Amino acid sequence: MFCRNQTTRATIARGSALEMEIRRGKFRRSVFLDTLQDSDIQKKIDHEIRMRDGACKLLAACSQRDQALEASKSLLTCNIRIMAYMSELQRMKEAQVMQRVALRSSDAGPTDDRLPCKGKVAISDLRIPLMWKDTEYFKNKGELHRCAVFCLLQVGAEIHDTDMVIVDRTLTDICFDNTIVFSEASPGFELRVELYSCCSEEDYSAGSTHRKLASKLSSSLGRSAGKKLRVAMDPGACSPISNGGGATLLLPLPSVGPKYHLLAHTTLSLSHVQDSFRTHDLSISGNEECSHWVPLYGNVCCRLAAQPHCMTQQMISGCLKVKQFGGDPQSWTNVYGVLKGTNLFCYHRQEDIEANVEPAFTISINKKTRIRASEKDLHSKAQSICISNHYGGEEVTHTLSADSREDTHRWMEAFWQQFYDMSQWKQCCDDLMKIELPSPRKPTLVTSKQGSLYHEMVIDTSDDISTVTDILARRMQELELRSQLGTSPPWMSLFEESPGCPRTHNRLPHSPLRCPRPGLLSSEASLTSDSYSPCSTSPCSRHSGWAEPLSSPSSHFRPRTLSLDAKLSTLRGRGYGGVLQCSCQPPSSSSLAPIPAQRIPQATLSCSSSTSSNSSSEGSHSPELSNGTSFSRPSSARRSLRNLRAKLDPRNWLQSQV
Amino acid sequence: MKGPLSYLQPGRNTKVSDQSETMSFIPGQPVTAVVQRIEIRKLRQGEHLILGFSIGGGIDQDPGQNPFSEDKSDKGIYVTRVTPEGPAEVAGLMMGDKVMQVNGWDMTMVTHDQARKRLTKKNEDVVRLLVTRKSLEQAVKHSMM
Repeated sequence: MFCRNQTTRATIARGSALEMEIRRGKFRRSVFLDTLQDSDIQKKIDHEIRMRDGACKLLAACSQRDQALEASKSLLTCNIRIMAYMSELQRMKEAQVMQRVALRSSDAGPTDDRLPCKGKVAISDLRIPLMWKDTEYFKNKGELHRCAVFCLLQVGAEIHDTDMVIVDRTLTDICFDNTIVFSEASPGFELRVELYSCCSEEDYSAGSTHRKLASKLSSSLGRSAGKKLRVAMDPGACSPISNGGGATLLLPLPSVGPKYHLLAHTTLSLSHVQDSFRTHDLSISGNEECSHWVPLYGNVCCRLAAQPHCMTQQMISGCLKVKQFGGDPQSWTNVYGVLKGTNLFCYHRQEDIEANVEPAFTISINKKTRIRASEKDLHSKAQSICISNHYGGEEVTHTLSADSREDTHRWMEAFWQQFYDMSQWKQCCDDLMKIELPSPRKPTLVTSKQGSLYHEMVIDTSDDISTVTDILARRMQELELRSQLGTSPPWMSLFEESPGCPRTHNRLPHSPLRCPRPGLLSSEASLTSDSYSPCSTSPCSRHSGWAEPLSSPSSHFRPRTLSLDAKLSTLRGRGYGGVLQCSCQPPSSSSLAPIPAQRIPQATLSCSSSTSSNSSSEGSHSPELSNGTSFSRPSSARRSLRNLRAKLDPRNWLQSQV
Repeated sequence: MKGPLSYLQPGRNTKVSDQSETMSFIPGQPVTAVVQRIEIRKLRQGEHLILGFSIGGGIDQDPGQNPFSEDKSDKGIYVTRVTPEGPAEVAGLMMGDKVMQVNGWDMTMVTHDQARKRLTKKNEDVVRLLVTRKSLEQAVKHSMM
C-alpha cells in the first residue's frame, strides 16, 4: 500500500524492504558522532579560556583608551562564547543520555526523523540608524559624547563579533562592514543580534579614581554629567544585563577598564532571509540616563542570506539511464546524473563535469516536481523512477533507471531528502542567494564615514598647510567639474598667476587698488570707527603702507589654528556696521578667517581696501589679520580653499558682487 | 533714473493699508513696503556684464549677521556695497537697500545664490529692481503729514 509521506513528494511503498533499509541506514550513522563532538567543544572552551586570560591581562596593562576598549570587547566576546559552549556541551550530554535510553527500548521503533540539510547563513551590511536630537546634531551643542559599539551575532554555539565602531553625533548610522558567515546552520536557526555599547569618554570604573577626580575638578559637573555619574555609581539601576548576562555570576571579571552593556537585541530566523536588504525591529534595553546610551532609531537594516547545502553541493551523482515518457521504449540514454540545487544535470560522461561541458539535458527538480517510483516496469526488471514536471503547461515525464536496486534506492532517497530540504529551507531554495565571502582584512580606515567638510578640515597647528590645500584643491576641482563645466566663473581667472590686471574698471579712479592682486588675505585691517556710513570716504592711516605690499608679495603663511570659531564669535559679538577692530596677533597664533565668496577681485580686496581710502567698501564682513604691513600672495589652491570654506561655513554671511 | 515712488503689491495677496508699515517681515504674510524703481543698465567688462554692487542675505544665510536690516530675522536680499561711479550708483541704488524684486521676480524669499543668479543673467542688459529703504518710508510719512 502506498503511503504518501506528508512532507515529501517521493512515494515509496510502506513496509517495503526499500523503506526499511533506508531507515536502518540512517539510524545507524548518528550514534558515532557524539563523542567526537564532545572533545571538539571542550577544545573550543579551553581555547576561549586562554583568550580570556590574555584579554584580562591586556586590559590590566594597557593605558590607551582604544586598546582598553578592544580588550574589553574581546573579553566580553570570550565570556559569551564560553557560556555558549558550555551550554552546548550540556545540551549534547543530555541528548546522548536520552538517545542511549531510547536505544535500549528499541521497541518504539525508529521515528521518521529526517533531518534537513544544513546551510550557510550570512549576515552582512548591518546598519543601525541613529536618532539624535536636532539640537545636538546641527548646532554642535555640548561636548562630543562618544560611545564604542559593536555587535555580537550568535547562531547556536557559534558566536561572531563585528568590529568596534566609535559613535558620536556626527554619525547618522552605525555601520558594520563585516560579513559574518555561519557555515552549519539548520533551517530552524535563530540568529541573535546583540548590540553592545560602552561610553568612550570618562572612565567610571572604580579603579581609576585619580583620573576621575581630576576630570571632575577640571570640568564642572553639569546636570547631565552628574546624572550619568550617579547612574554609573549605581550599577544595578541602568540595565540588568551587563557584560554577557549571566557571565558575571560564573566568571570573574576585572573591575577596571571600560565595560560594555547590552543596548539592543533582536532575533532573526528563516522567515527574515531574503536576497535583499530588510529592516528589522530592535528591542532596546537601557534608557537615556545610562552612560552607554546611544539614541537608536529602533531598527536594524541588514542583508540576511542563506545557502542551504542542497543548493550548493552535489547531493548525489551516478550513472543513470534516462528515457523520455512517451518515447520509444528502447530509447534509453546513458547519462551521468548530478543532483544539485533545483536541477538534475545529465551529462554524457562523468568527465564532462570537470571539463565544464554543458550537460546533455537538465531535469528540474523543484517544489512542483512529482517523482514516483514504480515497482513494476514491463520492460526491465529493475525499478525505475518517474519524474514529472510542468514546462509551460505541458507535463513532461522522464523515466530514470539505475543500474542496480541499491542505486535506485539511493536515488530515491536523495530525491526524498531534496524535497524535504526544500520544504524546510523554503524561500532559500527558489534561487541561489549570493554570499560574498569576507575579503581578507584591510587595515581599518581612520576617517569617519560621514564627516562634514569641517571634520575633514580640522588641522593641528603642526600640520602642514599644504596638505590641507591639496585636499581642498582637489575638492575645488570636483566642485567645479560638477557645477560649471565650460566657462569658469569670472573669479577663477583671479587664481591664475597672470600678470597685470585682467579686469580694470575704467570708471574707477582708484585703479591701483582695484587691480586684482590676489594677494590680500593677510593684511592688517584697521578701520576707523565711523567707516560705516554710505558714501563717505574715510581716509585710513594705512593708505601709504598699501602700495608697498602690492608690489612685493611674500608668502607669509601662518598655519591655521583652531581658534577660527573663537574668532568668528568675537567678530559677531563686536557687532557690525563695519566696526571691526582687528588686533594684531603674533604670527604663531594668528588665524586666517575665511573671506566671503567674492566673485570679482575687487571684492576680494574688500578687507584690505578698507584700510585704504577706498570708501564704499565699508561694511565688509571679515577682516584678515597679520602682524605686519606685508600681505601675502598665497597660491591659488589656498585662495580656493578659503573661498570654499567661506562659502560652506554657515556662520558667514555671504556677499556676492553682481 | 529714479522712478516714481510706488507702493509695492507683490503677488496675489494685496493688502492695502492706510499707514505705511515698518519694514518688518512676517513670513507668510503679504508684504507692504514703499519701494523705488531702479533701472540699472549692465556694464560690459571684458566678457562679463556687471551691475556694480554687492548683495548679501538670503533664506539660506544667517540673518543675524546682516548689518543693514532693522529686523534681524529678515532674510531678504540687501545691498551691501555699491561700487562708486558704477551702473548701480548711477541708477540710484544705495547701500542698505533691500531688494524686493528683480525684473518681476520676487527676491524676498530666495536663497543667496538664486538672488545672485537672477541679477546676473547673461541675456539681460537691464535689470529693473524694486528696492526699499527706511528713508523712503520716512519721506512718505513726512510728505503725508
